[in-house]
Amino acid sequence: MKKEDTVKLISAEGFEFVIDKNAAMVSQTIRNMLTSPGDFAETERQEVRFPEISTTILEKICQYFYWSLQYASGKETEFHIEPELTLELMMAANYLHT
Amino acid sequence: MSSQKKRNFQIEAFKHRVVVDPKYAEKTWKILEHAIHEIYNHNASGLSFEELYRNAYNMVLHKFGEKLYSGLVSTMTLHLKEIAASVDASQGPLFLEELNRKWLEHNKALQMIRDILMYMDRTFIPSTHKTPVHELGLNLWRDNIIHSPNIQTRLKDTLLEIVQKERGGEVINKGLMRNIVKMLMDLGPAVYQDDFEKPFLDVSGTFYRGESQQFIECCDCGDYLKKAEKRLNEEIERVSHYLDAKSEVKITNVVEKEMIESQMTRLVHMENSGLVNMIVDDKYDDLSRMYNLFRRVASGLMLIRDVMTCHIRETGKQLVTDPERLKDPVDFVQRLLDEKDKHDKIINLAFNNDKTFQNALNSSFEYFINLNPRSPEFISLFVDDKLRKGLKGVSEEDVEIVLDKVMMLFRYLQEKDVFEKYYKQHLAKRLLSGKSVSEDAERSLILKLKTECGYQFTSKLEGMFTDMKTSQDTMQGFYEAMGPALTDGPTLAVHVLTTGSWPTQSTTTCNLPPEILTVCDKFRTYYLGTHNGRRLTWQTNMGSADIKATFGRGQKNELNVSTYQMCVLMLFNTADRLSYKEIEQAVEIPATELKRCLQSLACAKGKNVLRKEPMSKDIGEEDDFFFNDKFSSKFYKVKIGTVVAQKESEPEKQETRQRVEEDRKPQIEAAIVRIMKARRVLDHNNIVAEVTKQLQSRFLPNPVVIKKRIESLIEREFLERDREDRKLYRYLA
Repeated sequence: MKKEDTVKLISAEGFEFVIDKNAAMVSQTIRNMLTSPGDFAETERQEVRFPEISTTILEKICQYFYWSLQYASGKETEFHIEPELTLELMMAANYLHT
Repeated sequence: MSSQKKRNFQIEAFKHRVVVDPKYAEKTWKILEHAIHEIYNHNASGLSFEELYRNAYNMVLHKFGEKLYSGLVSTMTLHLKEIAASVDASQGPLFLEELNRKWLEHNKALQMIRDILMYMDRTFIPSTHKTPVHELGLNLWRDNIIHSPNIQTRLKDTLLEIVQKERGGEVINKGLMRNIVKMLMDLGPAVYQDDFEKPFLDVSGTFYRGESQQFIECCDCGDYLKKAEKRLNEEIERVSHYLDAKSEVKITNVVEKEMIESQMTRLVHMENSGLVNMIVDDKYDDLSRMYNLFRRVASGLMLIRDVMTCHIRETGKQLVTDPERLKDPVDFVQRLLDEKDKHDKIINLAFNNDKTFQNALNSSFEYFINLNPRSPEFISLFVDDKLRKGLKGVSEEDVEIVLDKVMMLFRYLQEKDVFEKYYKQHLAKRLLSGKSVSEDAERSLILKLKTECGYQFTSKLEGMFTDMKTSQDTMQGFYEAMGPALTDGPTLAVHVLTTGSWPTQSTTTCNLPPEILTVCDKFRTYYLGTHNGRRLTWQTNMGSADIKATFGRGQKNELNVSTYQMCVLMLFNTADRLSYKEIEQAVEIPATELKRCLQSLACAKGKNVLRKEPMSKDIGEEDDFFFNDKFSSKFYKVKIGTVVAQKESEPEKQETRQRVEEDRKPQIEAAIVRIMKARRVLDHNNIVAEVTKQLQSRFLPNPVVIKKRIESLIEREFLERDREDRKLYRYLA
């Protein structure tokens, strides 16, 4: 994976997830962060820090990104969500606009 | 693990509720406001998108959306006012560039702000029905910059000035223009129209009004059109370079109105260079330009067409009524054809083969060809000339072309039956004298006439061809039957003509020389012997003869003469001098014919096989005639034509006319009967209308004649008048 094609997402606890840029861009918010004109810190460093998202949730979110890409390309599988994560995930989804 | 997660979730939920600190909103907004300032100052690189987004997100989430929104409006307004001041302060030509630069900056800033405040855009704005951030930014720009009193007029004036400069031939910064115009369009169609398009069209209108005035005073029509075309293209190009595509129609309308429509009439009638001159001089380019320009305005083509029609009718009328032209029918028709070709070519090359123009041309020709009552005769004479000699050595295709052209003229004729009459006469002469160049051409023309006018029109003409063919066989049979008994005498060639098929000739007899008479009698016996119940009359006025003559100094010639001439010449076998009276007595040819025949024998230069005393051009009853011993000719064969004006003389014309009228009567009657049979009852006017319609493919019947025919039919009890309404006629079966 080339450096330019990846982005680093950092959770509230400081865990770093390095994922494909196009996967991250499933989130409209992240897409804006990385593509907005003018040089925001995120665009420059190619990393986004989420002080309000826990590692567990962010991991789930990253899984979702990849699942969503597959789903969009026609591979229709179930995306499993543990019930206890539901509420937090929903809030994160609202925040990330996915 | 799971319980811990649960706790996490509870704590988070709690955290949301905790933030009710009244200063929270103020603090968060300060962060965002600062960010907006930084963005406008190009200082955004240190900012964290996520932080700003999160703050805006939280503000909206905590019901501070209203504060966020109004804060945005006032902050942005503040910045735009600063920008307005800086744009306003820019000097002269830098004005547009500064405006453009600031616009691009604003756009970029606006995009960033919108991205940061996206959550507000997504949730708060739709639910409160406020203007979305991007649109808000554009509106604020419009209100604070474009519509600020100083900038608004300055912008408009600058733009118009630049356009004017470009019209004057200067090179301008098209890219900048495009950007500024694009900005106006981005701000909404209303902004573009009010702040630029309307004044632009007004100014253009004034400009072109002035320019067209100036051009029309100093240019001729062709140059003016070139200039107008150039201007039009320039405007179209301008639109494609930097204006809204929708403006094209509007601006071209302005140019069309000011440069074409308002000057159109003057252009067309311009002295020495107007439409008529262009047509006369075959200026295809100018004509084409005029057509394409005038086509753009409502009544433009109509104007061209009307003027062209007038011109064609006028020149055509001059042509057909010029007494000079009437002297040479062939030239007359050739001129008509040339005229037609000329205008066909113009319509083809310059007027886009416009159907309405073709129709105008046709109707003009129809109009003036029928002005001259002799047109049918002349057209037939033209064909006669072509078929006699004009088409010799011409390829089949070219023959067809000539014939097609003749047919085209024929179509214009109203009195087609007159043409038929003459054509029959001329065809008869051609066939009998064996002068037709090509039978194929003859047949081809008859076929064309047939397709045009139907079987009836040509059946007699075709009958003439059949007679010719049958006569050949008859002659062959005759000579076989006679065998050697005939070898001594003169060779006889008889054409047996069916009465009715051929132009009726008053049967004029003459005394044939005895040598000829014997052969003729033999033929009569043979013919009547093979065909029962037929009657043969000799049409001596239509025949011809080849005779061998020996002149003084032993010079021998073969003379090609008419039957009458032969009769006269044969008399000189036994006498050297004969008076007019003696000749008349011996041959018994009608006086007019005899005079004509003597004239051609004695008075034609180079063909005067007879000598006349006294020498004069005309034949008198007291004249004496001598055999001209000194006759000589370069050629062995000498053709002595009869002095027949190819064209008909006045009395002949009257006669033909009368015959035509006579022939029309039964046709009109037949038409009346056909119509009445179908309608049973009809009033006078309708009958006349229907008859005219039925017969117009052949001729235009005169209403007076129709009335006479109706009366005659009433007399003969085909029709009767209604007892109550005298205008009504009833058909009597």
